[in-house]
Amino acid sequence: MNGPLHSCSVILWVASASIAFAAEKAVPFAVPDQVEDLMANYCLDCHDGDVQKGDIRFDNLTELKHPKRLDMLNRMQEQVFFKQMPPKKKKTQPSEAERRQLFDWISDELRKHDASRFEDKLRKPEYGNYVDHDKLFSGEFKDLPGFTYDRRWLISEYIFNDKFDRMLKGQATGYHRGRKVPVFGSKRFHRLTPTNPFLLPTRSGVRYYANTDLTGGHLSTMLTNAQKAAQLMTDYLVPRHKKSRQQYLPAVVEIMALEDQHIATLKERREFLETNVARVCQDLYGKKNDSLLPEFVPVVLNEAKALEEGETYKKAPIHVAQNTLKNLGGEDALYQVLLNPEVKGLSDLEIRNRCERQWFYNGDHERKIQGRVTMLRDYLTEVRERLAKNGTKIKLRIYKPLTDEEMAILHAAITKYRKQGDFHTAVIDKCMTQWTHDFRQERVEAGPPSDELLTQLVDQLFLQILERPPSADEQGDYLTLSKSYVAKLGNLKAIQKMIQTVLLSSEFVYRQEFGSGEPDEHGRRMLSARDASYAIAYALTDQSPDGELAKSAAEGRLNTREDYRREITRMLKRRDRHYLVDPILIDKNHRENVTSMPIRELRFFREFFGYPKAITIFKDEKRFGVDRLGSATARLLGETDQLVAHILENDRNVFEELLTTEKFYVFHDGDNERMQAASDRIKRIYEYFKDTDWQNFDLEELGKHKDFLREVKIRSINPDKLESGNRSGTGLQLFKKSMTSITARLDKGQKEAAPFDMYRGYGSDFMPGENVSSFFNYPLINWDYATVQPGKVPNRKGFLTHPAWLIAHAQNTETDPVIRGKFIREKLLAGTIPDVPITVDAVIPEDHHATLRSRLAKATETNYCWKCHDLMNPLGYPFEAYDDFGRFRLRESLETPENLVKKNPDKAPNRNHLLDLRDIYKTLPVDATGYLKGTGDPKLDGDVKDAIDLAERLGKSRRVRQSIIRHAFRFFMGRNEFLSDSKTLIDAEQAYVESGGSFDAVIVSLLTSDSFVFRKPIKEQTHDN
Amino acid sequence: MTTRRDFLKSSALGAGALAMPADLFAEPGQGNIPKRFVFIRKSSGIRPAEIALPDFSDKDKALDEKKEPLEVDLDKHELPKWLRGLEAHKEHMTILQGLSAKMSENVHWSFSSVMGCFKSNRNTLSAIKRATIDFEIAKLFPSPFGHVELSFAGGRTGIVDGYSAPAPQTRNYCYADPDTARSELFKSVLNPEAVNSDNDMLSFLQSKEGLKASGVRGHERKRQEKHLQSIEAIRERNEKLIKVSGSLAKHLPELAPVHANGGPNASTPEKQAAMTDVLIAALKADLTNVATYTIDDLGTPVTGLPGNETDRVGIHPLGHDEAFGGVPAWKTREQIRISHVNQINTIIEKLKQVPEGKGTMFDNTMIMYFPENGETHHGVGSEAPFLIMAGNNCNLNMSGRYVRLPFLGNEGHKTLGNWYTTLLNAHGNPIKHYGDLDLEMSRKKFDQLGAIKQLMG
Repeated sequence: MNGPLHSCSVILWVASASIAFAAEKAVPFAVPDQVEDLMANYCLDCHDGDVQKGDIRFDNLTELKHPKRLDMLNRMQEQVFFKQMPPKKKKTQPSEAERRQLFDWISDELRKHDASRFEDKLRKPEYGNYVDHDKLFSGEFKDLPGFTYDRRWLISEYIFNDKFDRMLKGQATGYHRGRKVPVFGSKRFHRLTPTNPFLLPTRSGVRYYANTDLTGGHLSTMLTNAQKAAQLMTDYLVPRHKKSRQQYLPAVVEIMALEDQHIATLKERREFLETNVARVCQDLYGKKNDSLLPEFVPVVLNEAKALEEGETYKKAPIHVAQNTLKNLGGEDALYQVLLNPEVKGLSDLEIRNRCERQWFYNGDHERKIQGRVTMLRDYLTEVRERLAKNGTKIKLRIYKPLTDEEMAILHAAITKYRKQGDFHTAVIDKCMTQWTHDFRQERVEAGPPSDELLTQLVDQLFLQILERPPSADEQGDYLTLSKSYVAKLGNLKAIQKMIQTVLLSSEFVYRQEFGSGEPDEHGRRMLSARDASYAIAYALTDQSPDGELAKSAAEGRLNTREDYRREITRMLKRRDRHYLVDPILIDKNHRENVTSMPIRELRFFREFFGYPKAITIFKDEKRFGVDRLGSATARLLGETDQLVAHILENDRNVFEELLTTEKFYVFHDGDNERMQAASDRIKRIYEYFKDTDWQNFDLEELGKHKDFLREVKIRSINPDKLESGNRSGTGLQLFKKSMTSITARLDKGQKEAAPFDMYRGYGSDFMPGENVSSFFNYPLINWDYATVQPGKVPNRKGFLTHPAWLIAHAQNTETDPVIRGKFIREKLLAGTIPDVPITVDAVIPEDHHATLRSRLAKATETNYCWKCHDLMNPLGYPFEAYDDFGRFRLRESLETPENLVKKNPDKAPNRNHLLDLRDIYKTLPVDATGYLKGTGDPKLDGDVKDAIDLAERLGKSRRVRQSIIRHAFRFFMGRNEFLSDSKTLIDAEQAYVESGGSFDAVIVSLLTSDSFVFRKPIKEQTHDN
Repeated sequence: MTTRRDFLKSSALGAGALAMPADLFAEPGQGNIPKRFVFIRKSSGIRPAEIALPDFSDKDKALDEKKEPLEVDLDKHELPKWLRGLEAHKEHMTILQGLSAKMSENVHWSFSSVMGCFKSNRNTLSAIKRATIDFEIAKLFPSPFGHVELSFAGGRTGIVDGYSAPAPQTRNYCYADPDTARSELFKSVLNPEAVNSDNDMLSFLQSKEGLKASGVRGHERKRQEKHLQSIEAIRERNEKLIKVSGSLAKHLPELAPVHANGGPNASTPEKQAAMTDVLIAALKADLTNVATYTIDDLGTPVTGLPGNETDRVGIHPLGHDEAFGGVPAWKTREQIRISHVNQINTIIEKLKQVPEGKGTMFDNTMIMYFPENGETHHGVGSEAPFLIMAGNNCNLNMSGRYVRLPFLGNEGHKTLGNWYTTLLNAHGNPIKHYGDLDLEMSRKKFDQLGAIKQLMG
């Protein structure tokens, strides 16, 4: 196997990257008088030659070496911007204008040397909120021309998967509303799962920004991916599509035609000979044949030693032996003997000897023969008994020679090369060597591929991989390259190298967004039509432009804002494509996690709310109380996606709905009719058996109901073989388990029954994850299922009370009011929260007799901590009404050993999975009050009763609406907003309001805004902040 | 940006959140003698009773059987029969009992989880939560190949998916037979043309990307320059490998012809010995400082074992006490372990022959032999016995001892996560805790973070 792989482990031996500071040499630097005055007034008291608080001094800036000075300026820049200096307790503070002046001077100095770490920081998603919210929406800056700089944007993990999917003609499928459909978004393509080097960070919030650069690590991984993809393309995809109407890389077919023909011929000859060489030799040599065979030497087997006293021996079962024989390559020979009617009646020993001789003359390795013969010695009797009882799928082979011409070639070669005592494999190898050599000669004489053919190859590779034809220059360059590859490597390896070369160009891994055409008065240019088509496609999906979009671009119909609007609107309405939402859920066997809406529309809310993280939080199943927590969580997330999709489909008051809906999906696939039918079936079974003595049925009694059982098809129960079953029990036992479960769902006056399968076993469940009900406080033993959903769930309002969000914003075993409060402050109220100071050990102290809220309050409601925690805690406390699994509660369990009241079993007795097995602890009442400030609306700010109250207020807040729009901007633009994007944001809000709360309208507005449509070449990196 | 809060929170801490192998770039050597690590993982468990000392005093035996804390010097005791191949190196041996691995996936296979301390969800990519411990260690001791994975899992050949992980959701590749391992590790010696053709391609790409660099400014230009530097770095590395191929050649291991084309006819002892030779050669040639060696899994065919010479035995049936060739299953299992121990002995012996610093290469080497799935064939991870062979310059204070730590669910109990944290802390990574936490310890509110202090040097 021609492996790639120095990059197998992807560690490279390189020079370390240099920092961005200039070399140490004398660099002119002076502090202007006005700035000196400012520093004298506000800074030097604490930071001069006499007093150097924090080891910082500013009076010697001109004397510092350049790198140290830049470092100092960087520190100053952040402190001034974040208003951390002068400290707030200082009475003399600079005015806004003074602060601005100081900041601008520092920024200019750093910019001269391209050395501002802060400006790099401001481009990061976590710093987006530092642009003043009120300024963005006030209208004061709406006349600033919006634009994005020319850029290349590294592809995301999703785009990477799609590129490979498209390039390798992937054929992934998924399930949508019970129907199998082709899907986009898989990460496995035929037998190849490339290593994805573009994984996005796992944080909550917008994850895909245009800030990331390609590193050596990416490139190294892509080298390996390219090698494997090239091999898959030439060795699998090209042959696979050879006979179809649309060949895959037809130039490869042509270049490799002669070699492929030779390979096929050689393969056919080898396969024929390996199976039939004995017969061919017999036919060729007749009676003389035996004398040419090598002298038979039987293998020596280990004899089993007697057991020592007290020792026992349990022979491995027959199926193990048969598998072993198969893996040793002995199965075929054995069965050809066993099935051959001409040799019926042979004893075990005779059969063994016959097989052994065949293997020996064949030239099989002694060790292999030993292994096979040992198996026959120990198991042949049982194999024959099994064969007699059960038969076999293996068929007796009928000898069929190749064509006369081929047989003549074989005979000639065997006659030429066979020597006395040769094993058959030796003869075959000699013949093959000669034929291989002859064919190689033939190919050498045929010469290398023509320039025309190689040019076609280049064209096809560009189209297949880069989705465009090469330019004339590129054609020339790549043709020269391909010829040199052919000369050095031969045709096949040259083709593979060419594939790798094209795949490794930066164009494959970077999205191009450069303006073209004439600039306007602000120096802005629109994206080229091709770049625009990709920008639009990747804004809404992970796929390249669809047919219509590509056509519009090619035909000059993607040049105006209206063109953009038309295409975007069309794509937003499109529902004939399906996308895998979350590969992790697919890995967890939640196969229904498929959507038909543009995937990035749904993904925005996934990232915004951050609920996908719930699946990564390691939780204790014992504390959950019921089992299959992983499956339940997968369903929880899948149904959260379903709910988002439902709200987006309605597309009315989307933000308000997300924040305040009382209707959720709980164990429902979105198809009300299907769920009703499933519930009806359970009810039917219940009604049929409920008045019988089913608990005491025996086989005979149950057998009287075969017809009904056949109709309703209870899982793993065969009405005609009730005595059989699976590892969970016989048919009768499984029936009783089912009825226990069904009865529990309907014997308390419930109107409907959740349609899950009755018990654990093998095979696919009807709908896995029924324990999702526990997150919503519905016990399996008393659950009145709602067949029409989304349906009202008590004590819930909006996504902030959804278990998925609550789990994602909690710890492994406790809630986390700080994280939950931080989410609301930053995501919904457009606030900022400083980093945890380095001196702080942010741990909630233990106290086994206090609630988490009170422990947290004790640690954080102190002078030093409260200035930050005041921004978070009061917003997080209302969610103490839900535990770390998102379950509603009025009392908090104090889960420590000394508070244990009752220990429940760790495993369900009698495998009754309906029981809640949580241990019982002492409890304390939950305090879910809090405080809202920061909406800017005095009617909304103020004391909060609980999470429901908080959700309602947030749902009414304009600032919250605007904050969501800011995040939407970041998501679709791939960057933070600046003051020059003010009009874009204002327009987007207006679009939302005027459309009755349509998120589609927001998207259209954003993607037809100046911020999206226009690009500007990079000169200086200033956006007015 | 990783804030301090992010760094401290949660049970799933990875060292420095270094997701990409790019961060392993470094100049090798630089005058410092690196530490070396060999992780040898086996299937079908190590039963704690099998690795206990046969001549414990009655008191110690009682403690050990009750799984209570215990520590004895090995030089005062005999080793179990299957470990006696290491008798000559007992002073370097630690038998570490009492670690638990319930946060890992157990039963039949653990895949990536035993070396990453997470559940692997049956080998799905998305379940890989963090770089496995071998990769984290490799970051601390960079080398040209950084990390090498050798594997006999599943009886495969060639270059195939491995079990180690360089980053979250990223699976490593491994060499699945000795011939492939040799060809790949010593490619610059055996097949310089292949390396050169890679460089031709890289030169071409460099010229193309260089053209793109002109005409862009600001951070786009920097971005392009970085790209060019990356290509150049790989080219330089390839050229360096070719330049040192002369000195690499003297470490090139010889393999018997039976190993050609994947070695379908090689016996298990032959394969193991050959793979061990390649591993030793890679260490001696400074190609790597960290190697992971999956010496078997339940799908590995085993042939040619003493006592079962002509049998092809299955590790899975043996785990169920189903036997072959008239030999009781436990004896065959023991012979498998002896075969493993033979490899460990070979590594030690060969490294002790190579002078390094004031001693030998083995002085700076640690070999760990451990089960992928806990305490038995269908282990649940309540115990994960470790056999550690460490040279004289080991940073940990443990050699020459049998150590039993408090059992799971008791105060002072230590998990696999604690052991890996110990390794990292002792070698320069100050991570607070590596790996997921144990749920039972969490429920009981026992402290379970950090290194095993009694082992820290």
